[in-house]
Amino acid sequence: MIPEQLKKTLEARVAHAFSAREAAVDVMKDLQFHYGWLTDEAVGEAAEILGLSRLQVEELATFYEMIYRRPVGNKMIHICDSISCWNAGYEKILDHLKARLGVEVGGTTADGQFTLVPCCCMGRCGDGPLISIGSTIYDNLTPELVDQALELERLSGSAAPEHQGQA
Amino acid sequence: MPKLIIDNLPVEVAPGTTVLEAARSVGITIPHFCYHPALALASACRLCAVKMLDGPVKGIQMSCSLPAQDGMVVSTTDPEALKMRALVIEWLMINHPHDCPVCDEGGECLLQDFTIAGGHSRRRYQGDKRTHRNQYLGEHIYHEMNRCIQCYRCVRFYQDYAGGTDFGVTGSAGRVYFGRFEDGPLESPFSGNLVDICPTGVFTDKTGRFRARYWDYQFAPSVCQHCSVGCNLAPQVFQREVIKIVGRRNDQVNSWFICDRARFDKKGINDPSRPRAPRVDGEATDYEAALDALAARIYDFVEVHGPESLAFVGSSRLSLEGCLMLGELVANFDAASLSFYGDPAEAKGSQLATELLSGENVAAPADLASADCIVLLSVDLMNEGPMLAPFIRKAWLGGTKVYRIADPALLSGQQLPFDCIEAATLAEVPLEQASRAIVVCHATRTPREELSDVAATGARLAMLQPGPNGFGAALVAREHGARPFDELLAARKVRGIVAFESDLPVANLKGITVLGCADWQATELSQKAGVFLPTTTWMESTGTSINFEGRAQRFERAFRPGYPLKGLDAKYYAQSRYGEPAPGQPKTPPPQPPRIPRGEIPGGQEIEAWKAMARLLEKLGGELIVEPLTGSWQPLRDIDPEAGGERIFSLFKSSEPDTL
Repeated sequence: MIPEQLKKTLEARVAHAFSAREAAVDVMKDLQFHYGWLTDEAVGEAAEILGLSRLQVEELATFYEMIYRRPVGNKMIHICDSISCWNAGYEKILDHLKARLGVEVGGTTADGQFTLVPCCCMGRCGDGPLISIGSTIYDNLTPELVDQALELERLSGSAAPEHQGQA
Repeated sequence: MPKLIIDNLPVEVAPGTTVLEAARSVGITIPHFCYHPALALASACRLCAVKMLDGPVKGIQMSCSLPAQDGMVVSTTDPEALKMRALVIEWLMINHPHDCPVCDEGGECLLQDFTIAGGHSRRRYQGDKRTHRNQYLGEHIYHEMNRCIQCYRCVRFYQDYAGGTDFGVTGSAGRVYFGRFEDGPLESPFSGNLVDICPTGVFTDKTGRFRARYWDYQFAPSVCQHCSVGCNLAPQVFQREVIKIVGRRNDQVNSWFICDRARFDKKGINDPSRPRAPRVDGEATDYEAALDALAARIYDFVEVHGPESLAFVGSSRLSLEGCLMLGELVANFDAASLSFYGDPAEAKGSQLATELLSGENVAAPADLASADCIVLLSVDLMNEGPMLAPFIRKAWLGGTKVYRIADPALLSGQQLPFDCIEAATLAEVPLEQASRAIVVCHATRTPREELSDVAATGARLAMLQPGPNGFGAALVAREHGARPFDELLAARKVRGIVAFESDLPVANLKGITVLGCADWQATELSQKAGVFLPTTTWMESTGTSINFEGRAQRFERAFRPGYPLKGLDAKYYAQSRYGEPAPGQPKTPPPQPPRIPRGEIPGGQEIEAWKAMARLLEKLGGELIVEPLTGSWQPLRDIDPEAGGERIFSLFKSSEPDTL
């Protein structure tokens, strides 16, 4: 169940959209912020708010890599595995991250702090290899810089940073 | 009109035609998976590559999405194009399981055909295949996602064409999955078309799995007899059992598709309790003896009670040939009555449609797609003419407003795949402002005055009939002065009836002798009849039926009737080796064909209803009629069952339709 206030906000967002589908990503992100990840219940609620079927919400939710349909840690680490970062040697960074966090790709650290997933491109191919942690992008990475970034993010707490892009 | 050259053949096509369609028009098939003439373009499979040798674009191009233009020189056989297609096939086959021997699609699989055609016979990829979990999609369709080649045909059909919302595509890139949110039966009444439209075996017909291969089937062009739309289909028959039913193209009537009732409702035809033997007073006998007995009883009855107390009863299930022969039978007696319907509203409405409709004011199903205003007038669309819905949806997607004047008695609860504006009366609908308006209504429920209002606005009519051949029956009823049976009852004249494929309720027949009944179903009437004559279903008959828009369509016999060679599918009978009969199933299996050499098919005495009538007429002293389509009906003999049918209005030029 989502709070009445959130529901009203989302309904207002949909009412202002040209079509319900246009507002779908916003609705899913807000629900994800509320639940921590986009639960089955949240898919049902999004469907109701958007006037779509649950399957139609699922179609959109599973398309976007920053909508999570499984439980995730407090902060998401996206590591670009696309061609430019591959050229720049992202594999070394990935191996380092896996070792530091003690997880495989797709896994969440034991303390629930980080979830490591690959992503396809962040649009900054000249600065590879790069990762994003929460809403911050770290570029031109070396294993040392990765350690610093992780330390920084650990210190900055767990303020539900998956809520990227929201004010 | 763009002129281009394809494989050295000059082709001229309408503007907007794609290169793939242009090639098709001259008989060149360019391999394709995602392209389907009824669906929007996806350009997903990359298989239709051709080499453009000269013209505005050059090099390898996807022919399905490239509009034909002047000066194009296309080669479908260029080595570069062949190589490209071979590589596409190879990569589509990377994840495809090598399970053709146990796949029900094997033999009728586009992927199989084009893999062979593309020359891909040796596997180079040695990695793991991606696999998926299948979903339970209900009792009609089996899901096998591993076979998927991501052509997107299913989702384009299900969501875009048919308006379903519970099936779609999830994930992205290498994780694309076609299914539902969770396990459960597909909700769309058109879901069965996934079986036809999937180029490989992701969706197979669960009701006919593992029974036979494509080359085993007997086929014939047939016409659905569930409602008055008259969709074209083809039964796939193996050893006298209807295994599957597939859609057949008719651009004017059903495009490429059929509804789930047409596809999966085979029960009546495969029913083990289907009456196979003629009976006299409950005793099985042969056809000749039964006809003799019936003729003698009719003769005696007429001697005692006079011909005015005799009625011949047909129905809109009868083929046109049957209706016409019934007319001949009645004409053999001076004062006997003819009836096709019990309910006067059905009889009158059906007849009104034949009087009012002409080639100008009638709308074919496909016309709905280009209508600019559509009214659903007291019609239960998803029950009475479901295949009209996708055409209406197409118009609605293009911006056409659809109005519904609901009849509270008719709320079927089924969702329409388009939005309607509710209106209370026809006067609320701005029909005058439209130039291509169509009113969808039902003959039984639309009063004459309302129809005059419609006609005054210039709107066309799609007037559904109470039965599959309702239009044909009504034409014959008009010719022979048929009356609704309830009226005959009220007049208290009729004391005996002979029924042919009639659904008259038995409760109304107190004090009336059912002398004879001919049917392929075990109706209540057939239990009550003194003489019973088994007839063939439409799949075992050759005949003509006329759909609601006056389109005469020929269906051809797909197989000779009789007991299936190996007994019926286990689910139809009970005494299996594996345990107790399923609840509601008969205790004993249907008789197995005897293993002795004989000339005729066991249980195969059924004949077409009109032939039974013709033989009865001969025994009653009439002339033997071998061709019921005579006089003004004669041109219908030459209808090509695969040419889309013909409107019958031109046959009756002498008797102009009534003006409103």
